[in-house]
Amino acid sequence: MEQTQWKRSSKMWMVLASLMMSFFSGIESLSVTVNDVECVYEYVLYEGDTISGNFVVVDHDIFWGSDHPGIDFTVTSPAGNTVQNIKGTSGDKFQFKAPTHGMYKFCFHNPHSTPETVSFYIHVGHIPSEHDLAKDEHLDPINVKIAELREALESVTAEQKYLKARDARHRHTNESTRKRVIFYTVGEYLLLAGVSALQVIYIRRLFSKSVAYNRV
Amino acid sequence: MGKMMLCTLGISLCLFSIIPSAFGIWLTLPSSGTKCVSEEIQTNVVVLTDYIVIPDGSSLQPSIGVKVTSPYGNNLYYKENTTHGNFAFTTQETGNYLACFWIDPHYQGAKEVSVSLDWKTGIAAKDWESVARKEKIEGVELELRKLEGAVEAIHENLLYLKGREAEMRAVSERTNARVAWFSIMSLGICIGVSGLQLWHLKRFFQKKKLI
Repeated sequence: MEQTQWKRSSKMWMVLASLMMSFFSGIESLSVTVNDVECVYEYVLYEGDTISGNFVVVDHDIFWGSDHPGIDFTVTSPAGNTVQNIKGTSGDKFQFKAPTHGMYKFCFHNPHSTPETVSFYIHVGHIPSEHDLAKDEHLDPINVKIAELREALESVTAEQKYLKARDARHRHTNESTRKRVIFYTVGEYLLLAGVSALQVIYIRRLFSKSVAYNRV
Repeated sequence: MGKMMLCTLGISLCLFSIIPSAFGIWLTLPSSGTKCVSEEIQTNVVVLTDYIVIPDGSSLQPSIGVKVTSPYGNNLYYKENTTHGNFAFTTQETGNYLACFWIDPHYQGAKEVSVSLDWKTGIAAKDWESVARKEKIEGVELELRKLEGAVEAIHENLLYLKGREAEMRAVSERTNARVAWFSIMSLGICIGVSGLQLWHLKRFFQKKKLI
């Protein structure tokens, strides 16, 4: 009687444990508009978890490409130390091991007045270690392998999200180039025609009867 | 023994219902104005969102307003004076989906409010519990099924990226051809306009009997 009860409860705990593992997604992929400083917080459950991610600046209509050097990215640990600091970039990838568990702060700083849209992706990955295996007898070594597989697939997904964000940025630049080509060339033609018409009118006026043309 | 098990089961189930909404990114809402987050999503993708205002310890729980709009401007979700909630929708259009949060005017003060937002799209929003119940799988098999879903999502994403890259290459090549054509046409127009000028002025001076 006691044994069957234990078996039932252990099965329930296994189901619960697997359900709990499914909640360790920790994947966030969003875009946010940065005016000055925008901070995003993410909770890291275990010390030693790998935090990986990337961010790309989808530029707003910047006139000259050299005008905007990029944005700064800072990661602060719950203890207040700066874990990662990337300056003046238009997009980058990052990965580090969390020194402690707690609430991590990911901040984007825009040094210029023009607002920028930043598309970011943060993933907190946890792989059960030997210590966790020893502590919890319901964790099989196969769960470790499955967690490793899951992390590998997440890294591929992260790379794809980075590529998608970069593609959006390039598409934005391409559209801007196309519009500029059409607008500026048509404007150039009209201006050229207008200037030459003005030239002709001016020369005609120089030779008109109202002005004493003997002076010319 | 059985009662204790039920008790712990009840408590853990309660915890599991709160933890998913606490797992997400935290945003700080400014005391005035709205904070918006967006994502570019394709059509026919399931979006699942949970949001909850993080209690800051004081008894006064500030309430927020939430608004979600589709890329064509349709209002997908609107709620005011709320502290937590969830919503789900399937995207009908490809584009930028915007979710905006603001603090309710009654509570607008000097303090900033933290909101925990759990925004899941596509494969992350799939309800694995119902799949497990329907097909009666659990444990390792369920985990492997999830991995298979993730691989399929990766494959789909790759095809999408390939399609986008092909489109962009077409636009780039068209722009390249246009630059060449417009520059040659500009030279042609320049020569044409100056020819017209010369002809017109020659006629004018001949009329004026100056040449």
